Amino acid sequence: MLLVVTYSRRARETLRNACRAHEETVVRKFGRAALLRETEYGAFLACRLRERHAADVQVERTKPFNEFADAPDAVREAAAAYENRESPSTPYDRFAAGTDHPESDAMREREL
Amino acid sequence: MSGRFDAVADTAVRLPDGSTRDGPIVDLRDVELGSSRGALDRVVCAGCPTTSGTLAVHSPPPQSIHRHVSPLTPATTLHHRAALAALAAARGVETPYDDDLRTARRSLRSATPAAVGVADLRTARRRAAEAGAETERLRERVATIRGRVNALRDADHGTSDDGLAEAEASLSETTRRLSEVATERVAAAQRLELLERNARSARDTRDARLRLEDRVGNLERAVRDARIAAVEDEFRAARRTVSARLSRTRSPDEAASNGVCDALAVARVAPIRAPVVVAPDLVGALGGPKSTHDVLDAPILVR
Repeated sequence: MLLVVTYSRRARETLRNACRAHEETVVRKFGRAALLRETEYGAFLACRLRERHAADVQVERTKPFNEFADAPDAVREAAAAYENRESPSTPYDRFAAGTDHPESDAMREREL
Repeated sequence: MSGRFDAVADTAVRLPDGSTRDGPIVDLRDVELGSSRGALDRVVCAGCPTTSGTLAVHSPPPQSIHRHVSPLTPATTLHHRAALAALAAARGVETPYDDDLRTARRSLRSATPAAVGVADLRTARRRAAEAGAETERLRERVATIRGRVNALRDADHGTSDDGLAEAEASLSETTRRLSEVATERVAAAQRLELLERNARSARDTRDARLRLEDRVGNLERAVRDARIAAVEDEFRAARRTVSARLSRTRSPDEAASNGVCDALAVARVAPIRAPVVVAPDLVGALGGPKSTHDVLDAPILVR
């Protein structure tokens, strides 16, 4: 999908109007951002916004996150184990200490 | 001192024939002006100097409230909230949000968003896309030529050495270009990535500016609401006076519209120094020029 984020009142207003007028192309609206369908028309709207508001518009192309393909096993397993922990108040790093789960700092350093 | 001030504050109208009329009440009913009431009001707003031989109005400059109360006719309507907010502003009404609004506006003025190299980014995107497409094209071409070279080598006896040599030369040339273009592609991708990263951090300041813009917007609304609330009572009292005055001269069924009552009340409460243009039938309904001037507590041009 195309994620359009706006950074000024005018750009936000244009995006809102575009979303109102082209509901079929809008997957989801959030205050100042919207997800557009990945069709030529979605691209057309994104290009128009970029043309009109230049730096006040950010367009990203998104795709669904597949944790089995996009994240290392250790990360995925750590997340699952932490969410199923016994005591809800344990911070992650204390939970991970002394186990095979990766440290949070180490995960912050590594790009996917 | 006060007499002198009044003389300055008063309205003076210079007619196209060069004659002048002044005073808080200027009656232009008997003058052939050839311009509409709206045009006369625009002359009030335009002020002096003007070229001789044209209608000119010398008066203090109109405030923002002016456009809500001039010209006045029996058909006048009023943007109620906008007019009351302008009225309060003209009266110098202060609100608890004024300081915050001033501060927020100042911050917004000084918050110049970091520049995002829009043109550079666009160029980088285009280059990255072109380099990518060119790499794909050459990669396919290399595969094709390599296939031909292999076929020629396998077929060997039947073909001339020239054909094979030519194909091999073409393969090495295309392979060389592919490697060049692939290098360009990597460079273009890196440049694009760098610019995207810069743009992302520049957006942080734009993000802060947007929040500031929203804050200014919210404070403006709060100021407006507070201003309107501050003059509401006085406006209602003035409206009762105005409406009582109108009902003296008019039977209930031809009573002036709500709009004109509102506009008259706003004019009455507002500290008006630029003359208000009033239509003769409304002046009549209010009991004549003198009475109209008293009701509005403002200089008037009857037209």
